[in-house]
Amino acid sequence: MSKVATVAFKECREDVFAVRGMGLYLTASLVLSAFGLLLVGNTELSLLDNAQAVYMMAGIILALAALIAVVRGSDGFAGERDRETLEALLISPASGEDLALGKLTALMVSWLLLYLLAVPYLWAVGSAGQNLSAALLYLFLAGTILMTIFGALVLSLSARVKSFKSAMSAGLILFLFAAAPVALGPSLRQSFIGRVLDWLNPFAVAMNMLDAVIIDSQTGPGRQLLPLMILAGYVAVAVWILWLSSRRIEL
Amino acid sequence: MNIIEVENLQKTFHGKEVLRDLSLTVGRGDIYGFLGPNGSGKTTTLRILFGLLPKDGGRVRVMGQDIDRQDGAVRKKINMLPESHGFYSWMRGTEYLQYMGGLYGRHLDKSMRRYLLEQVGLNPEDTRSIRQYSRGMKQRLGIARTLINNPELIFLDEPTNGLDPKGRRDIHGLLKRLNRERSVTIVLSTHILDDVEHLCNRIGILSQGKIQYQGTLKGAENEVAPHYKFHFRKDVESETLKSIPGIHVLSVENGWLHCRLDGARPDQVVAAMVETGIPVSQVIRENDSLEEMYLRRTGGAS
Repeated sequence: MSKVATVAFKECREDVFAVRGMGLYLTASLVLSAFGLLLVGNTELSLLDNAQAVYMMAGIILALAALIAVVRGSDGFAGERDRETLEALLISPASGEDLALGKLTALMVSWLLLYLLAVPYLWAVGSAGQNLSAALLYLFLAGTILMTIFGALVLSLSARVKSFKSAMSAGLILFLFAAAPVALGPSLRQSFIGRVLDWLNPFAVAMNMLDAVIIDSQTGPGRQLLPLMILAGYVAVAVWILWLSSRRIEL
Repeated sequence: MNIIEVENLQKTFHGKEVLRDLSLTVGRGDIYGFLGPNGSGKTTTLRILFGLLPKDGGRVRVMGQDIDRQDGAVRKKINMLPESHGFYSWMRGTEYLQYMGGLYGRHLDKSMRRYLLEQVGLNPEDTRSIRQYSRGMKQRLGIARTLINNPELIFLDEPTNGLDPKGRRDIHGLLKRLNRERSVTIVLSTHILDDVEHLCNRIGILSQGKIQYQGTLKGAENEVAPHYKFHFRKDVESETLKSIPGIHVLSVENGWLHCRLDGARPDQVVAAMVETGIPVSQVIRENDSLEEMYLRRTGGAS
């Protein structure tokens, strides 16, 4: 097993054995259950079109994925530093890049688990409507990309700051900063600034792509190429930042 | 042949000079005791030697390679046990070794893990998680970890800190065995003089960012002339004692002569006393000279 796989495997095992790991999935399932109940039980929300309900649920899933990336990513290096386990890792011949890539891989496994957890909820609220399979496919793509972006950026922070708390605070600020444009009103989003923010923000790009696929049925191959390329650009930048940050990890 | 050569090492943290022109050498096969009070820069020095911290100045060569130009080959031949164990408490001992082996690019099969655990006196069949280990067991597991890559040089940072006397003796025995049987050079940072006296053949005393003494343990002990107490079966006049060659009388009280030897050996003094008709019944070496020298060199800091 390679050094990267060794780190990833241990991180995934920690998800199972450590309380904080399972706690995240339990919280995620509670949030999805509550939201699913609202969508089918609330008088106003239950009137929503199935596609609209799937889109809203997809947004929640992406937010949860980003939050998991923030929490687990902050713990990546800063948490190890707090628990005094980092020194033993740095003593080994595994490079900072090996460790970072292993931890990022484990984050992707976390996303896969969250996705698998979310599929039944999506099916429950959207099985009667259109584009559910396309929604599942694009949600998987968007989530994988967002998880990589947030995971890489927060892991970079975690490699640089001295404590888990600092990494978590900075990660949450990044998350809020990224999610804020999504909360802009429809008229503001139509303005020039709104449009610029929409294209600058990976979260907004992902949500707009899901909007186009789920609500507007733009599911054909190549129709979402531009947003996917923009997101791929963000992935490249985030991974590059992670590579730079992890080259020399200090105690 | 020296396995470590350090010249004028400097390190500053936030404007505070921690290491000032520190120079030391460690020979291959040595058990080198790196002594110094808390906060004197021992851990910083070890981390720099291992390549975990960048230095601000000076020259460091480990296993013949400049630390700034290391290509990773040296890292494969050395290992370190930091003061904080850094274990994942939910793992079992064998799982932990397997994980760390993976980070060394080695697949440690069951027999190899068993061998490593047995080398340090841990039971390979122990199914408890590391959080249930005693401090001594954790220390042993840490030493097992340092053996994963079959190193030629091991750095140990305060390896007996917090251990009871038996635990300390066990670790001493283990380290001596590793040095003897596997020819591992050991650099041991500690402020516990007992460790140094039982383990080390060479020592370096660090204080105020500099090496205050470096040499053999024997040399350190010789630096301070030891005090001796001689007990006599009957009272002896001070004037008679002053005629004995090779002693410097400090006091005579209740049949006890307290003195320092000036060039003479205790047996020679006893022989001279018996010849003069002084009935010597007991000889006691009075003080721990290493401790005295340590305190003198470090300004009495602890």
